[in-house]
Amino acid sequence: MQCKRCLNEDREWFYKGSKGWYCRKCIAFGRAMVEEEEESVSLCEITSGAYEYQLKYPLTPAQENVAYALREAILQDDVLVQAVCGAGKTEIVIPTIASFLRQHKKVCFAIPRRQVVLEVAERLQTYFNTAKVIAVCGGHTDVVDGDLIVCTTHQLYRYAPKGIDLLILDEPDAFPYRNNEVLFGISKAVRKGHCVYLTATPDAYLKNEIQEGRVICLKLNVRPHGKPIPVPRVIKCPMGIGLCFLIRWLFAHKQHPRIVFVPTIRMSVIIGRFLNLFLHCSICSSKTENRDAVIEGFRKEGNGILIATTVMERGVTIPHADVCVLQANHSVFDEAGLVQMAGRAGRDFQDPTGDVLFLCTEECEMVNACVQALEEANLSCGV
Amino acid sequence: MRCLMCGKDMRYGSLKDILYGDDVLCEACRNTWLKKRIVCAIDGVRVQSDYVYNKAFSQCLIQFKECGDEALKDAFLWGVRKKLKRRYKGYTLLLLPSAKEKVEQRGFLHLHEMFSCLGLEMLDAFEKTVNISQKTLSAEQRSEMKHTIRLKEGIQLPKKIVLVDDTVTTGATLSGAISCLEKRNHVIEAYCVSANHTWIR
Repeated sequence: MQCKRCLNEDREWFYKGSKGWYCRKCIAFGRAMVEEEEESVSLCEITSGAYEYQLKYPLTPAQENVAYALREAILQDDVLVQAVCGAGKTEIVIPTIASFLRQHKKVCFAIPRRQVVLEVAERLQTYFNTAKVIAVCGGHTDVVDGDLIVCTTHQLYRYAPKGIDLLILDEPDAFPYRNNEVLFGISKAVRKGHCVYLTATPDAYLKNEIQEGRVICLKLNVRPHGKPIPVPRVIKCPMGIGLCFLIRWLFAHKQHPRIVFVPTIRMSVIIGRFLNLFLHCSICSSKTENRDAVIEGFRKEGNGILIATTVMERGVTIPHADVCVLQANHSVFDEAGLVQMAGRAGRDFQDPTGDVLFLCTEECEMVNACVQALEEANLSCGV
Repeated sequence: MRCLMCGKDMRYGSLKDILYGDDVLCEACRNTWLKKRIVCAIDGVRVQSDYVYNKAFSQCLIQFKECGDEALKDAFLWGVRKKLKRRYKGYTLLLLPSAKEKVEQRGFLHLHEMFSCLGLEMLDAFEKTVNISQKTLSAEQRSEMKHTIRLKEGIQLPKKIVLVDDTVTTGATLSGAISCLEKRNHVIEAYCVSANHTWIR
């Protein structure tokens, strides 16, 4: 017995109700009967001409190489595009999306974080301005079908089983997709064809798949502007002195928007209150109610300060931003997360430099590994 | 055996799980429910309940009712069923009504499943005259709901009855059901598995 939605095969998770067997593992998405003879969900036809796209900037030769290699490779196998933060992963898959839309195939762009879904959907809509790009995430679930679907990984269940021809899975190493068996199963069940993974920091599962030869890995270690990725400066000091460094750093980068990452929600509140004594700053954590408005305000302000928890670590592009991570050695952070946070800096074409500061209270393996990974990426592309 | 809420294998659970492991929920999940005996009176009928309608309870109830997870049917009365069996011996359970569409969508009567572990007589005697889900209504609108419940035609009611429901929030459904039974010579009790915290006095 196998659940058609989450591909669970463990008998302990099945239960026989009054209407027959159903899977309890993915029950949070509603009851999926096991014996129902449903081959695949039917989604609407692609509008003709949806495949035409217009990029804001043309792809750089390095991006082009990867983009066209991806378009060929995806026909045979799953592909991982391992590109540093800000290398333009979204842009690299555009030619592939276009070639699938041209063949009237359904493409879905799935991202673990809700915040990123809205941003990516907006960006894709400007590239594909004739196509109907649909964002599906918590609060945006009235329309769930269009030419190009951008959704959170939690919404993928709507297209199971086998509704999607090409699944693009952005940041598969991010919470809540990471280590979630149900979401992993669903992402396998929705697709008819292959899958593109996009990340800067592949996890153990993907690394293993590459070694076994089931996934092709394409690497891109240079950002479109050709400038190196900002490597974090690490300062080790006790918390109190670290705060002094933080304040000095905040004043030194007055002209830019500054993001301060903190490990816990509680700490974001405390640090926010403390900093509000001298500087105006806003707070963004998973408990913030009007998160979209806060981020939008921060973006508009141009030189504000945002105290953020790891909800902001991925996928968000804020031009000219500088980044500081407080207590970078805290156990809620991991190497991938640190790389991502450092990657928030210097993402703009006009202003490719950014400053990244890690404040640790003690020597930490994770922080060193992150610095090393970024330095290696910079070395490998010769900048 | 796995915990029905968190899915943890209870053979490797806490000491209590291993020694007294016949609960369908693990100890950690069970402890998120707030057990508290609440007794109140609605229209002169004594209403008793055993749990506070908190986040964990509502989550479980939603998974049972809205997601249709029938496996959870024994989770609600697990700790209190012996007590209830004793208390309501000789009574007939009258199930309070759900909206018709909801029942069709679920494919089972959730109260019937929930209370079937007691082994008492059960009767689905009421019906709703309008199909509105109470979730969207305010407290005042809910009190209007009183008049939208009626007894099904041709039902013979026994002498001793207990009105049962999963949760009591404003008490509108219960008082509606009680008003249907007025002027009849019944012994009426009422039992709700959980009660909204406003009923704690």
